[in-house]
Amino acid sequence: MACGIKIENLSFSYTAGNQVLKNVSLDIGPGEKLGIIGPSGAGKSTLLLHLNGILAGDGVVMIGDTKVEKRSLPDIRRQVGLVFQNPDDQLFNPTVEEDVAFGPLNFGYTRGEAATRVRQALGEMNLEGFENADSHHLSLGERKRVALATVLATSPGVIAFDEPFSSLDSVMVVQLLGIIGRLDATLVIVSQSLLPLASCCDRLAVLVGGEIRACGRKEEVLADEALMREGGVDMGFYREAFKKYLE
Amino acid sequence: MKHSFLDRYSDLDSPVHRIDPRARLIAAFSAIVIIVSEPHGRLLPFAFYGIIILFMTAMTRIPPGFILKRCLAVSPFIIIAAVSYPLSVPGAGVVENGYLLTEGVRSGLTIFLKAFFALVLLILLTSTGKFHRLLAGFRKLGMPRLLGVISALMYRYVFILHDELLRTSRARDSRTPGAIRTSRVRVYGNQAAMIFIRSLERSQVVYNSMLSRGFAGEFPDMDKLRVRAGDVLPAGFFILLLLTVRIISQPLTERLFN
Ligand SMILES: Nc1ncnc2c1ncn2[C@@H]1O[C@H](COP(=O)(O)OP(=O)(O)O)[C@@H](O)[C@H]1O
Ligand SMILES: [Mg+2]
Repeated sequence: MACGIKIENLSFSYTAGNQVLKNVSLDIGPGEKLGIIGPSGAGKSTLLLHLNGILAGDGVVMIGDTKVEKRSLPDIRRQVGLVFQNPDDQLFNPTVEEDVAFGPLNFGYTRGEAATRVRQALGEMNLEGFENADSHHLSLGERKRVALATVLATSPGVIAFDEPFSSLDSVMVVQLLGIIGRLDATLVIVSQSLLPLASCCDRLAVLVGGEIRACGRKEEVLADEALMREGGVDMGFYREAFKKYLE
Repeated sequence: MKHSFLDRYSDLDSPVHRIDPRARLIAAFSAIVIIVSEPHGRLLPFAFYGIIILFMTAMTRIPPGFILKRCLAVSPFIIIAAVSYPLSVPGAGVVENGYLLTEGVRSGLTIFLKAFFALVLLILLTSTGKFHRLLAGFRKLGMPRLLGVISALMYRYVFILHDELLRTSRARDSRTPGAIRTSRVRVYGNQAAMIFIRSLERSQVVYNSMLSRGFAGEFPDMDKLRVRAGDVLPAGFFILLLLTVRIISQPLTERLFN
């Protein structure tokens, strides 16, 4: 079941004196799809790691009615699924089945239930018959889909994606957009690939130097060229390029 | 990247590949014990062992060239041991009355054959099924859980380390036209350090991803091995065959050669 996210005045630093997140506040409704853009090093991945309490900064993160804190971590981890940028960071079991079953088994499902969940999650990713495949023999596109399946198998209410479109060919991007469109969860998607991001999100936030510069309807954010440039996107380039090739 | 250096033939379909990993484990290790316990100096039984193992190899459909190449990688150690043995035993020279097969040479040969056969058996064991199933077999036979998890992680990440090694080597070579001019040691040292640091960082991220999926220190277990008669019978037959050779070889040799 999709649940909302509320972040209030979140600050974080890895090393003393070097703030990576500065007073970040965001309000994301249940079932909403929020895109986050920003130049590299802006703190996007760091922000995502706060959603399920892997990192804990100063400030408040709420998932639904539950505050993210040490006590609530088991609950939070079940609610929030994180899809890492590099599938090799996510897939550490020898076989696809063991990897996808890892979450459900940890969350206390029986082996039978876990097996059902594995089958469903792989089915949703068009990966039927991959149960016994070795993850290291799969292509990158397949590994990315397996990585997403490992998260879907726990049916989280919130799914956070870190650069889901990077190093995918355009056919796979379109395929992934289809999958994202069908997901029944609150989505937070960090990406530098503006076109697919804009096409699958309701709202866009711009994160620069650890600060939220703007957060609003995607049409409004995309129209503000100065803001987009701060976020690392040169809209003029896109406009000119498409004028040239699409006429 | 495509890998084939560890499990190239584990996907083949053969009567041996279809046997439960536990049965294969027990058969392989029993065979090794039987062959290694053969006393030094008698060559005849090794001919029988060789025939049995050759027959096994043919059944697995794994190309013998692949197995021999694997053996070659470790053979220097075996050959050194086998060659130095006849020279190190007092009173047992290499040539005796113009006859080459002295006691010492025969002992050296048996050492070589024991090691060679054990190696072939291990290669057959690891090449006749997925490594993770073998691990599951080990676990079911009582291997400590933590050791199993560590081995599984090692198996998974050796491929990624291999990728990293390839990538950094390519980066290095594409910027070194011809010979490396700076200190070679320093270049390789830096590369090794880079791979080490990246692995360390990766382990942190992987751990994060495990935590995200509810990891709390206990690895869940999805093993679903079941032993059937079809597994036990061939493995039992194989062990019995070798055991028979081991038992009757002594009286047989005595009758034939004395
Ligand atoms: N584990 C870490 N230790 C120290 N600094 C880090 C760590 N991870 C990221 N950083 C730093 O935090 C900043 C934000 O990183 P990150 O969240 O990965 O940015 P983004 O995902 O937007 O590219 C960067 O300056 C980065 O160097
Ligand atoms: Mg990042």
